[in-house]
Amino acid sequence: MSETIEISSPKKALISGISGQDGAYLAKLLLSKGYEVHGTARDAQMASFENLERLGIRGRLVFHSMALNDFRSVLQVLAKVKPDEVYNLAGQSSVGLSFELPVETLESISVGTLNLLEAIRFTGRQIKLYNAGSSDCFGNTEGLPADEETPFRPRSPYAVAKATAFWEVANYREAYSLFACTGILFNHESPLRPERFVTRKIVKAACRIAAGSKEKLHLGNISIARDWGSAAEYVEAMWLMLQQEKPEDYVIATSETYTLEDFVAAVFGAVGLDWREHVVSDVSLLRPTEIMISRSNPSKAFRELGWKARSNMHDVARLMVESENELLNAGSRPAVSQQ
Amino acid sequence: MKKALITGITGQDGAYLAELLLEKGYEVHGIKRRASMFNTDRIDHLYQDPHETERKMVLHYGDMTDSTNLIRIIQSVLPDEIYNLAAQSHVAVSFETPEYTANADAVGPLRILEAIRILGLEKKTRFYQASTSELYGLVQEIPQKESTPFYPRSPYAVAKLYAYWITVNYREAYGIYACNGILFNHESPLRGETFVTRKITRALARIKLGLQECLYLGNLDSLRDWGHAKDYVEMQWLLMQQETPEDWVIATGIQYSVRDFLDAAADELGGRIRWEGSGVDETGTWESVRKEAGDACEGKVVVRVDPRYFRPTEVETLLGDPSKAREKLGWTPRISFKELVSEMVREDLNAAERDELVKKHGYRTFDYHE
Repeated sequence: MSETIEISSPKKALISGISGQDGAYLAKLLLSKGYEVHGTARDAQMASFENLERLGIRGRLVFHSMALNDFRSVLQVLAKVKPDEVYNLAGQSSVGLSFELPVETLESISVGTLNLLEAIRFTGRQIKLYNAGSSDCFGNTEGLPADEETPFRPRSPYAVAKATAFWEVANYREAYSLFACTGILFNHESPLRPERFVTRKIVKAACRIAAGSKEKLHLGNISIARDWGSAAEYVEAMWLMLQQEKPEDYVIATSETYTLEDFVAAVFGAVGLDWREHVVSDVSLLRPTEIMISRSNPSKAFRELGWKARSNMHDVARLMVESENELLNAGSRPAVSQQ
Repeated sequence: MKKALITGITGQDGAYLAELLLEKGYEVHGIKRRASMFNTDRIDHLYQDPHETERKMVLHYGDMTDSTNLIRIIQSVLPDEIYNLAAQSHVAVSFETPEYTANADAVGPLRILEAIRILGLEKKTRFYQASTSELYGLVQEIPQKESTPFYPRSPYAVAKLYAYWITVNYREAYGIYACNGILFNHESPLRGETFVTRKITRALARIKLGLQECLYLGNLDSLRDWGHAKDYVEMQWLLMQQETPEDWVIATGIQYSVRDFLDAAADELGGRIRWEGSGVDETGTWESVRKEAGDACEGKVVVRVDPRYFRPTEVETLLGDPSKAREKLGWTPRISFKELVSEMVREDLNAAERDELVKKHGYRTFDYHE
């Protein structure tokens, strides 16, 4: 039965937040699997979709305007697209910014997810939902690796909102038997990360300095430790979660933890520089509350999904540097799609 | 003189807390929502006319869903303590109105915390968040204490989870004296009529007098840790008076089932409920113990199960461990389960008798259905 459907009409996926890093990689993955891929942005006409341009897939996608905090818009898009799978990647995604925009963070993440769950219930269709969770929900785990059983102790308005969305998904799965699950993703980076995120900020500065810039790189606390993986690999886990018999939540990570200093050293090393000559510490960049060490145990994903990270922090740093240098070498020429 | 601002002052806890704070010499400000009918029954005895001078109790119109309104009230009151008791507080209703519940119960407290920051009151104004044992939901250990992980099982509990953690975060991030009281179920004669305890005492009193036929309930096996709201508001005040803000479980440490509550209420009314059948077919038949009562319901089925009251996800058991409050603050609940049930039944019987009398003289009474 399912085979006939696959042959006659492709599966349809709807990605909210398609203009972001994960949205772009996921769209590319789903296209390669033969999906018809729809994506949403708050204003699809005005959105830049630069990431989708860079991956050369913009022309193969269908766009819709949808704001997750507006129930009508969610319902309309679901009714129009009739997706088999929905990937909820939208929402204010910066921890730092969440201290400045706590209400927007809550509304786009928690109220948004609630609207999506309610809209799926309303359609009465068997729509599978992937929800983008975050390792930030764990907070400080005293150096212990976090798995699916580890209690949340969120330490930013972003993490509190993500914890809320996690439990909304769990409750709707249990209360209404929706196929809905959350991937608790640890930090995952790529050349598509915006500069607001510290990894890309470091890579951009290192590449400019290597190219002759005299600037200094200002960073907050570089003793914090994170588990960094590659975004392109993490979107595979998202897809795999929706192909299981039962909806469950999974931790997605590399299981390797490095300090931000390690990352800085790797990036500057990749461009042949000693980071200590170019980095200054800046207390104004410290967050009101910070997670010191983030550590993961992604063994359930390996056991049940057969998913395992292939790249570690060093691979990701190298990939980001290579890509940045390509962009720099392209100079002022307009970006062209690579396909 | 200290000033306190209570959101949800028209509710059960708001009324008891307002009374307590007035006794302690506070100037009490309360926020109430505008409604087409008066909703200040519970604080009627505390009301002071706006024309009186030196009022100790002031009501403001407001709403947890309106940021500018909250900022303006807090700016004009400049409270030393804010008790956030306002919420869409009904678990079952939250499945019907999940978005409103999130707006009032999750965004609401964030709006107040932000108002404190915006007005630069981080060092002056203390914040109490009414958290709930519903956070434990599908309990991860028995009994539940401050360190027990949460597993919320309703849109209400999920919204309250946001409020709990944002309170912790604003304490850690901005140094606000902000704390959570994780209150297990607490009841009183002022409990809303749609909550199971009050629904039981009100219905059995009316059934006894022949004003009602039968009481329909959901899960009779639900286990809860029931205390008296009057005891619990003392703890709310107490945990705002500490050197450092912390989160506290407030509970009795004793557990009863809904069926136990029914038995205790019947006993108080001089009756006994004979239980028969199981599951949705379980019934409770009234047997008079004190014969002088001459109950209208003798031998009749007075309790039935209605699956309509089952929830999409049930919380089967809640039992609090109040050791921290006892050991660090010397707090223990004073009113026992039996005394609680007894007081609730007495008040509801009194109200039912008033209704009966009014009816007998040909005047109209209200039944107030759900």
